[in-house]
Formats: sequence, structure tokens, C-alpha cells
Amino acid sequence: MDDARIVERSVDIHQSKISAKGVQVHYGTTHALKDVDVEILDHTVTAFIGPSGCGKSTFLRCLNRMNDTIVSCKVTGMIQLDGENIYDQRVDPVQLRAKVGMVFQKPNPFPKSIYDNVAYGPKIHGLTRSKADLDEVVERCLRKAALWNEVKDRLASPGTGLSGGQQQRLCIARAIATSPEVLLMDEPCSALDPIATAQVEELISELRASFSVVIVTHSMQQAARVSQKTAFFHLGNLVEYGETGKIFTTPKDPRTEAYITGRIG
Amino acid sequence: MNTTHILSAFDRDLEGVQALVMRMGGLVETALLDAAEALDARDEDLATRVRTGDQAIDALEEQINAECARLIALRAPAAGDLRTVLTVMKIAAALERSGDYAKNLAKRTVVLSQMPHVMGASGTIRRLAKAVVLMLNDALDAYIRRDVKLAEDVRQRDRDIDQMYNSIFREFLTHMMEDPRNIGPCMHLHFIAKNIERVGDHATAVAEQVIYLVTGAMPGDERPKVDGMSTSMARS
Repeated sequence: MDDARIVERSVDIHQSKISAKGVQVHYGTTHALKDVDVEILDHTVTAFIGPSGCGKSTFLRCLNRMNDTIVSCKVTGMIQLDGENIYDQRVDPVQLRAKVGMVFQKPNPFPKSIYDNVAYGPKIHGLTRSKADLDEVVERCLRKAALWNEVKDRLASPGTGLSGGQQQRLCIARAIATSPEVLLMDEPCSALDPIATAQVEELISELRASFSVVIVTHSMQQAARVSQKTAFFHLGNLVEYGETGKIFTTPKDPRTEAYITGRIG
Repeated sequence: MNTTHILSAFDRDLEGVQALVMRMGGLVETALLDAAEALDARDEDLATRVRTGDQAIDALEEQINAECARLIALRAPAAGDLRTVLTVMKIAAALERSGDYAKNLAKRTVVLSQMPHVMGASGTIRRLAKAVVLMLNDALDAYIRRDVKLAEDVRQRDRDIDQMYNSIFREFLTHMMEDPRNIGPCMHLHFIAKNIERVGDHATAVAEQVIYLVTGAMPGDERPKVDGMSTSMARS
């Protein structure tokens, strides 16, 4: 494992950002997630892979309490962000979601202008003091999302008028506008063409410098390309979690090997 | 774990490259045995056949490399599948080198048939060749059966080959000191013995690929070596 590629991608930060211990999720009588322990590192891209229904999206949604909105869903166990329990009663889920941003599978820009899509978060959280401040935030986020040059002349036109790949990058710009510490991405590229996918992947690598990224993906090649750490879920269990290069060359668990080599679906 | 892929064409591709490498192994084994026999029997025709037969071995290696490149590009193999492709390529390279040694042996056989006979030498070399071919055969068997124990056994047997080579070296030295007319043929015979000994190293490399394929790591321990023999002999 000492080859140049792995060294270049090596994770030098060992500081834990999110720490999950004994997380269980039930949807009514369905036991969706069984006793998941995981440490998500800061400044690292972590990929969750596994067949449909394995619990990876469920777990991702636990990390910013998106499951709160589902009545039948019961989450137990402990999830800490920087040592603080995010399921504590004193934690405001809205504030939490500003810190733990999310990008969804389908681009879902607000039916507003491109500018307002990005400006919305900073406005409601009161993160800017003046219009000039806000302009700066919008430009910075659009630049970070590699969208600025394409939209700078039509910031007032609706976000929904952009192409699919542009819309997804707009959603990423919106998600990073509140200066989150963690960015959750649920299959962010599944509706995109290969060029837009490559642009989003390049963006993910850059975002890693600013915060920790967790990505759920069905494309194992994407997980291999963008992540430093990979977690494999199967039937609600976290089967294996480790350095991405190791998972894709010498996985320890036979279930992981069977999945990544295309033997179980 | 399930042994077959959901995509059955992937299995066919993987089996295909492994079948090619086995065919290549068969050709190399035959070439080595034929070359040793040609040397022993002073059979120039057989030696010529071995020389021309090397083209088929080289062509197979090229085909294997092309198929592997295709498999990597089209199937993006991971974990065990990736190791299968990587080991197939390395084994093909080891076999190609071994085939070259057989060809070289055949070339020298043609030259040697014009030279005075050296007592007992070709018989000893034939025994060495047989032992090495058996090693190669076992290494390839171990590959197909994913048999780490057999691969480990092959690795250990390389020491016997080294020992046989060293005693052959000593024998030739004696012949050359006894009669300077033996120097010419003995030099050729020595190169032949050295080349066969190198095939033993390639068989060991194949065995190590088996261990890597199955365990995901190259064997860490240094395999036993008989060192310094030929060096000290050269000084005596």
C-alpha cells in the first residue's frame, strides 16, 4: 500500500469530526440500521457504498437529523459532532443543518433566481451584515462550486432554468453558503452526465480542504475516485470501514469483496 | 462468497486470460523438456523446433497483455479480480522469459553438437531441467487451484535447484581444470545450467504471485538461499 497514488491520497488528518456509536434505526417494525459505529474524519471524503436498502442513506440522514421528519422513524444510539450529541434536546435541528449541509440525488433548486438560491441560507441565518457582504458570499460559493463563470451574467434568472449539471452545482453552492463543517451528499451525480459528474467530483476533492464530505454513491468507481475512506453497508450492518485503497484492493470481509467485484447486488 | 459474477461475461473474460496463461505454461514446459532432451541426444532437429516454437510463446504473452488491458478498461476489476489480472500479467512475463531461456538452450545445443562431448554433463543438466519444469508445473497448478500450500512448497524447492546448480558448477570447473579442451563446451554448458536455474527463479516468482493472489500480500519472509557458493568456487 505504499504506492505513490495512495501516498498522494493519504489521510493526514486523524481528527474525528463525527463520531457514531451503537446507532440503531427502526422504521416502524423494520430494523433498518443495526448497531453502527463509525468515526468520520475531518477534511476527508468518506464514501458510503452498498446495495439498495442497505441503510447507507438512512445513516447519512441520521447525521443531520433529516430522519426527524419521518414519524415512524426511531433513532437510538449516540451521534456526536465535535464531541456534542446532535440528538440532545437542546440542539436546534435547523442550526445543526446549517453546520451539516446536504445535497440530494436530484438537483432541487428553489424556484427563485440563481442569486437567491445561494443567498437564502446566509440570509435566514443572519450570516451577512450588508448587501455587499451577501454579494461576496454568493460569488465565493458559486466560484467554489465551479459555476461562477457560467452564471455571473445571469444571476437574476431562475435557478430552475439551468442544465441538470449546473443545477446540481447550484445546489452545492447553496449547501456551502452557510459555511457548513460537514457536507452530506446523497448520490449527487446519479442524474448527471459524465462531464458534469467529473466536475462535481473535482469539486468534492476541493471541498475537502474546507470541510469533511460524506457521500453516498451507487457507483463504486466514484467512491474509489473521490474518497479517502469507504464504508460498506449490507442489510443494515456496517460491514467494513477503512482506507479506500485497501477496501478496493484487499477488503477483509468476504461480503465486501463480493459486492465490489460485482458478485452480489 | 458467491464465486460467479452477476455479469457472466466478466467471468468468461477472467477465465479466458487464465486459460491463455495455462496454455503458455504448457508450451514453456514442453520447450524446456524438449531443449534438454535435444541437448542430451544431440538432436539438432528438435533443438531447431524449440527455437522456432518460441514465437508462439511470445505471441501468447502479447495476446494475454492485450486481453488484460481490455479487461481492466472494460470491467474495472477490483480486489480479487484485480489481483487475478495483475498476477496473470506477471506470470505471463515470467513464462515469456523462461521460454527465452529454453530457446537459448536450444541455440547452444546446436553449437555444442559440433564440440567434443563432456562426460555426463548433459544428463545432469537434463535432471536439473526436469526438476525445474516440475517446479513450474506445480507453481501453475497452485495458481489454478489457488493453493497457497503448494505455492509455498515450490518456493522452498528453489533451494534444491540452487544446490543442484552449484554442484554442476563445481563439476564443470573440475572438467575444465582437467583438460583445457573442455573449456569451450563447459562454458556453454554452464550458461545452460545457469539459465535453467533462472527458470527456477521464475517458477518461484509464479508461486509468489499465487500467494499474493490468494492472501493479498506478497510473502514477507526471505526465502532460504544458498549463497556465495559459486563465488567461493570461483576463487578456489
